[in-house]
Amino acid sequence: MKGAQLLVRALEQEGVDVVFGYPGGAIMPVYDALLDSPIRHILARHEQGAALSADGYARASGRTGVCIATSGPGATNLVTGIANAYMDSIPVVAITGQVPTPVLGTDAFQEVDIFGITMPIVKHSFMIRRAEDIPRIISEAFYIAAEGRPGPVLVDLPKDVANAETTVPPIFEMKSPVRRRPDPDQVEEACRLIRQAERPVLYVGGGVIMARAVDAFRKYAFASRIPVVATLKGIGAVPTRHADYLGMLGMHGNLAANKAVQASDLLICVGARFDDRATGRLDGFAPTAKVIHMDADPSEIGKLRHADAGLLGDLRYALESMPTDLSIEPWQAWCAERREEHQWRYDAPGEGVYVPDMLRRLTEADKNLTITCDVGQHQMWVAQHCHFQHPQQHLTSAGLGTMGFGIPAGIGALMADPTARVLTVTGDGSIMMNLQELQTIRRYDLPLKILLVDNASLGMVRQWQELFHEERYHEVHLSDNPDFVVVARSFGIEAFRVTRRDQVDGAIRRLLATEGAILAHVCIDPKTNVWPLVPPGQTNDVMLEGISA
Amino acid sequence: MNHTLKLTIQRVEGALIRALGLIERRGFAVTSINAEADAAAQQMELTIEVRSAGRSADVLARQIEKLFDVRAVTLMPAEEPAVALEESMAC
Repeated sequence: MKGAQLLVRALEQEGVDVVFGYPGGAIMPVYDALLDSPIRHILARHEQGAALSADGYARASGRTGVCIATSGPGATNLVTGIANAYMDSIPVVAITGQVPTPVLGTDAFQEVDIFGITMPIVKHSFMIRRAEDIPRIISEAFYIAAEGRPGPVLVDLPKDVANAETTVPPIFEMKSPVRRRPDPDQVEEACRLIRQAERPVLYVGGGVIMARAVDAFRKYAFASRIPVVATLKGIGAVPTRHADYLGMLGMHGNLAANKAVQASDLLICVGARFDDRATGRLDGFAPTAKVIHMDADPSEIGKLRHADAGLLGDLRYALESMPTDLSIEPWQAWCAERREEHQWRYDAPGEGVYVPDMLRRLTEADKNLTITCDVGQHQMWVAQHCHFQHPQQHLTSAGLGTMGFGIPAGIGALMADPTARVLTVTGDGSIMMNLQELQTIRRYDLPLKILLVDNASLGMVRQWQELFHEERYHEVHLSDNPDFVVVARSFGIEAFRVTRRDQVDGAIRRLLATEGAILAHVCIDPKTNVWPLVPPGQTNDVMLEGISA
Repeated sequence: MNHTLKLTIQRVEGALIRALGLIERRGFAVTSINAEADAAAQQMELTIEVRSAGRSADVLARQIEKLFDVRAVTLMPAEEPAVALEESMAC
């Protein structure tokens, strides 16, 4: 058996049913072996699309995503997708072809040191030197990608190793991640802090989803009635309409969420990492609060904020040990008042489309909708205004903020569950980053719905230039955009345009009723801003508010 | 502030550069380094002196510990190892 065949058998043994990739010279033996495998290969039209689709597949399915590319430019094109998975702790195995080992290090055709290039953005990486190592390395790669705090693993496979004959049987022992219990002394201290607290807040992040601890989190939150705020990746950890949910915290968070955190005397951080977009100026974040930090990653506890109790291990064990019989009624009432006081308003003046309201109504019209997001103003509107029952309904590039994530992630989500109803919300800037993936949608007849919010500008950058650079606008006007309806149709995708508020109801019905792929091109006022906003460098006490047209 | 890290790493491709790269990326300057290979155990012992203006060396040690090629990490008290290391290198 050849090394490439051994690799494909190893993927099969890991239960891989779909891989996203793009062929090329050095990876050709693997593509040859894939022909004889039940594994389905999805051809992206750019390797970045393949990597981001693998990421979206992993987020939607809870399984490890796999992407494949050739050496050189194929490998470097994966880099943004690998970094995206790294920043959001998504289990992805990226397999790259490499030039044959005799010419490694000679600047051979399509040779790059992808092993070295990706070192800062992978959880681990392997260069396979011998075909007989392939089963063990693939097993380790999948184990490492999924265990503890998940992340991407790179496997670089030189072409001569892929072509080498070996007699090693494709059988190996698969490892399973071990659930680790937090230290009992720290658990006891956390329980003591919770019982003492008068103003506790649950600050939930994406770690809860990655640890499959959503049920445990909900059980604790609902039983304790501690108010909940979420990071961008933690949205949906409790249903967004739940009475104790105050919204997203941070730079574009809800005022109620930020006020509660700032006033709290105990912050129970569950699978979050005190990211700067969530905390604002760190030394002014929840200034009077003690901290309980629950996480699977030992290096996160105390990294940015001292933890009075650090619960390292499986979040489910930590959560089930915490006390629920609390006497915090005055605090609950205070938070409920803030929640009421800072409800989003949808009575924006004018006749133009008010995107926050359109997004809210979309998720009200289909409560099971999965939304994959691009990056920019529309991403924040989705986080603020869409309603989610489960966190897997909201796939967003949080840590890296990758423009171009939305459509590939939508493809990945549909490959994870072909019966899911998936909508990508994108912008006129973001869609151009991976526009070629419209052809992937067409090629596989994927019923992806696309809501393209077009403000003829790079809206978030334009907003910052307006607010923080004295309106010195530079390279943000995109009035030379193509006609996106014509573009979509040229890819064979149904498309229509929405320009007025009175067209919104019909547009929502059409988007949701269409069986195949469809794109709604929604044109809005270029001067629309995202509110509220904590200015960079400020604490979350300082939230600018404005009125969007 | 100076700290000394003692690392035991597997002698596999990329292990050394992975550990050193992480130290610099996390905001620490490497001021000295000593490496000794243990061929029988397929391991390498590293003694690395690092300096950082404000980052936590304890967090750094935990970040290094997470690397899959790293077998052991010891973070030494601040001042005394810096001298000891210089003396050992002088020998």
